Amino acid sequence: MRALSLGALLLAFVPAAGSAQDARAQMQALQIAPLRFNPPQPKKVTLSNKVVVYLLEDHTLPVISVQLVSKVGVANLPDSLWGVGWQADGLLRTGGTMRLTPDSVDKLVDFYALNISFSTDHELSTAGLSGLSRYTDQLVSLGFEMMKSPRDDSSRVRITAAQQQENWRRRNDTPGSVLGRAWSQVVVGNHPLGRSLVNPAEIAGFTSERFRWVQERLYCPQNFVMGVSGDFREREIVALLEQQFRAWPACKPGLREVPPVAYAAGPRVVLIEKDVNQTNIRMGHPGGIKLANTPDYFASQVADFLLGGSGFTSRLMSRVRSDSGFAYGVSSVWGADTKREEQFFAGAQIRAEKTVAGINLMRAVIGSMATEPVTAQDVKLAQDNEVNSFVFRFENPGQIVAQQLGYAVDGLPANWFDVYLRGIQAVTPEQVRQVSQRYLHPDKLVIVVVGKPSAFDRALSEIGPVTILPVDSIKR
Amino acid sequence: MRRLWCLLAAVVAVPPPAAAQQPPASPGEGLPVVKHVLPNGMTFLFLARRGAPTISFVTHFRAGGVDEWTGISGTAHLFEHMLFKGSRTIGTNNLPAEQALFPTIDAAADSFTAEFRKGAMADSGRLAQFRERVKALEDSARSFVVSNELDRILTENGAVGLNASTSNDVTNYYFSLPANRAQLWFILESDRLRNPVLREFYSERDVVMEERRLRTETQPLGMLLEEYLEAAFRAHPYGRPVVGHASEIQAVSRNSALEYFHRFYGPNNAVVAIVGDINVDTMKAWATRYFADIPAGEPHKPVVTQEPPQRGERRISVEFDANPQLLIGYHVPSAQHPDAPALQVLGQVLTGGRTSRLFQRLVIRDRVATNVGAFQFPGSLYPRLFTFQGVPIAPHTTEEIEKAVYEEIDRIQRDPPTDVELQRVRNQAEAGSIQRLQSNFGLAFQLSNSEALWYDWRRTFRDQAALSRVTAADVQRVARTYFTPTNRTVATLVRPTKPAATGGND
Repeated sequence: MRALSLGALLLAFVPAAGSAQDARAQMQALQIAPLRFNPPQPKKVTLSNKVVVYLLEDHTLPVISVQLVSKVGVANLPDSLWGVGWQADGLLRTGGTMRLTPDSVDKLVDFYALNISFSTDHELSTAGLSGLSRYTDQLVSLGFEMMKSPRDDSSRVRITAAQQQENWRRRNDTPGSVLGRAWSQVVVGNHPLGRSLVNPAEIAGFTSERFRWVQERLYCPQNFVMGVSGDFREREIVALLEQQFRAWPACKPGLREVPPVAYAAGPRVVLIEKDVNQTNIRMGHPGGIKLANTPDYFASQVADFLLGGSGFTSRLMSRVRSDSGFAYGVSSVWGADTKREEQFFAGAQIRAEKTVAGINLMRAVIGSMATEPVTAQDVKLAQDNEVNSFVFRFENPGQIVAQQLGYAVDGLPANWFDVYLRGIQAVTPEQVRQVSQRYLHPDKLVIVVVGKPSAFDRALSEIGPVTILPVDSIKR
Repeated sequence: MRRLWCLLAAVVAVPPPAAAQQPPASPGEGLPVVKHVLPNGMTFLFLARRGAPTISFVTHFRAGGVDEWTGISGTAHLFEHMLFKGSRTIGTNNLPAEQALFPTIDAAADSFTAEFRKGAMADSGRLAQFRERVKALEDSARSFVVSNELDRILTENGAVGLNASTSNDVTNYYFSLPANRAQLWFILESDRLRNPVLREFYSERDVVMEERRLRTETQPLGMLLEEYLEAAFRAHPYGRPVVGHASEIQAVSRNSALEYFHRFYGPNNAVVAIVGDINVDTMKAWATRYFADIPAGEPHKPVVTQEPPQRGERRISVEFDANPQLLIGYHVPSAQHPDAPALQVLGQVLTGGRTSRLFQRLVIRDRVATNVGAFQFPGSLYPRLFTFQGVPIAPHTTEEIEKAVYEEIDRIQRDPPTDVELQRVRNQAEAGSIQRLQSNFGLAFQLSNSEALWYDWRRTFRDQAALSRVTAADVQRVARTYFTPTNRTVATLVRPTKPAATGGND
């Protein structure tokens, strides 16, 4: 201890060794030890009703988290029930149970500081239950009761309807909301995957019976995978879950496969006029690539990282923000799913007086992925980032369990992360160039623009024939 | 099963005796945090934790929007952006050549500002000409810039969560690293603190202007909040937008940003929290090695300006092409005042959760609002605003929400909160105080923030524990003391009488 203090003292008096050198030299002299880390593995248990549960105990803090994922979502419902499905999550939380009034449920949740939430998404539905572990029985019993026997009390249905009506009224209040909805209408059309707002006709169809019809089908045992993390004992939690699943009837028929979707391609320029001094822009086309263990998929991920997925190190950020000062935010997403090819798009909020210059710059940067090939150093940056940051994917037990649930729902193997890392590490600069050349088409972009044309630097028509979409013609 | 629920129901009705006992201190106060202060005043807080080999680094500087002077609003925030531009070694391939261009660029920017100062009399042609000249000159310096090199180094080393934020009270910088790369933080942070170079200054000023447009000028709530604060604070700088006034952002110079840095970024105004898989002795040695020779700066002095007592209700309407919403605020003391815990409990009783009084009435019973909330802002160090926010459901109006809020305030001034209401708040506070111990980053942020604001990392934990000691009489007293019409500011978003040609609604 004394020797240590002496050491510290000496260091304090000797002018910092660091300051004599520059930071670059200090970094070059760094000795980085290998990171030894075996992430904890969740234990996979199958309940008597065949529901798979991933368990990961961690008694550091007296908290518990239970996650359920159901493999079906709102797009699996008949079209006439889309709006009901989109709000069925909120009603599960607020509508009470057959035994407990909505107020009783709220009192229990608030009093015990339980976090109980549901989410019905396009292609899956989730439940999240968390709280202090001394209330595990209350948390799990109440959460399961809400899913098993929802009341959808008519008073709460009316509240949801009024709130959704107000959301609809406010749909054009911010440029981001206008852009997102216009984009979906232009690119995804009326397909359920393109919807994110309930319209008045759908709100008029809200009834308790319809909510229950939907909830019984989206939340039922055969569709679940589950995870439990935190402060629990395996034997006790398994017994509790077995008890909760008892007498929960099988899933009922009535769902459909998600209909095929065709994302529109350009070239096309669409303008929605809004009186703002900053222009919201999104440009994209079908992404052409599925999430799978293929060289193209991994190369597309590296390409997206370098183009606009990685923040400041990306080309879009560097050129549109840092070099030009046109925008605060600019990024790209090259979507890919195990089920289907998704979209590629880039987006930004550009100073109104630089709108056309900004769009041209973004198009040029997208095109540069094939014409100004990425270097080996660029590709190594993307690879090093994935390899060196892997530990952050395993920082806490809830995250590790959620990862396994995601893989299970997507039909990916439990070791998908290892497969992914190996795939990324095998990508070459030439593959990135090829995948960019084959799948990125700056000449076939759909470009949707929300802004005030009289403030633009040049006529938007310089980019191509402009379709004006009146804001009230956005149907969703 | 049924018996369990009966028990629960009983608990809701009457809190069990155990809950009435003196609550334990917040679990966070007992954490084995090691505080280490260098001779130059730089403060380090180390907390070793088991778990994945990650480390979170959060630095708070006692420098924020309130420390700006007239004419340079937004500089604290702009400077925050500039600290990502690198140093004398990082971010450049030829420092002398790069810096030789700065005086010419600054002179061109000064010419722009001189014209800009003429206000309505300024010549728009000359303004555009100067602007283009600044851009051309800065572009020529760009050949010596290694764009975003700091970010690139951290990205390749697997850093996550690299970001920063500026508030009225403080500015913070943070990221997390895999545990084997901790020394990189010491190298890069000491370098940018010792040798910042404000390169690409004027294009970044444009970026900040777009950030202002993104968060404030194109957003109904952003605009309403800005106008509301300016109406409520006439003397204290809490009334000034942290992002800056549009006119002042356009005129901030590289030199005034540097002046701000030299005044407020001394190591004695910095608090670093390092939390995760660390060896505390190694961290101490590195802290000394990399930071000890940076000379101390001026100690931070709190703002002298005090907001005078309000002499009557203030009401403003803010025109914006969007649907109405409402803010109601009362001046309340700073977060260190003895009344602060009671005010926080009061906020929870009124709007904390679906069973809170205002949510029950406005959202559930009367269906007048989509939501109602309460928060205290825009800072912690100085007296601030206890703010209610309400969004009406048409055809109901902001006036109906206002009336209901006042009636509920009258009610709590007459009838104190019940035992069940208070126990609910205590339980929520307890759960929150445990849940916030879960992540390295969350802990590092709180420790560093608390030490920077209060010179005491335990303070925030103690404040959480203090919520449990608040009595019904305390809540009633603070409601009576502060929630008076004279002390009130009301801001309403209204659509302009002549609606814009576009963006129409139902």
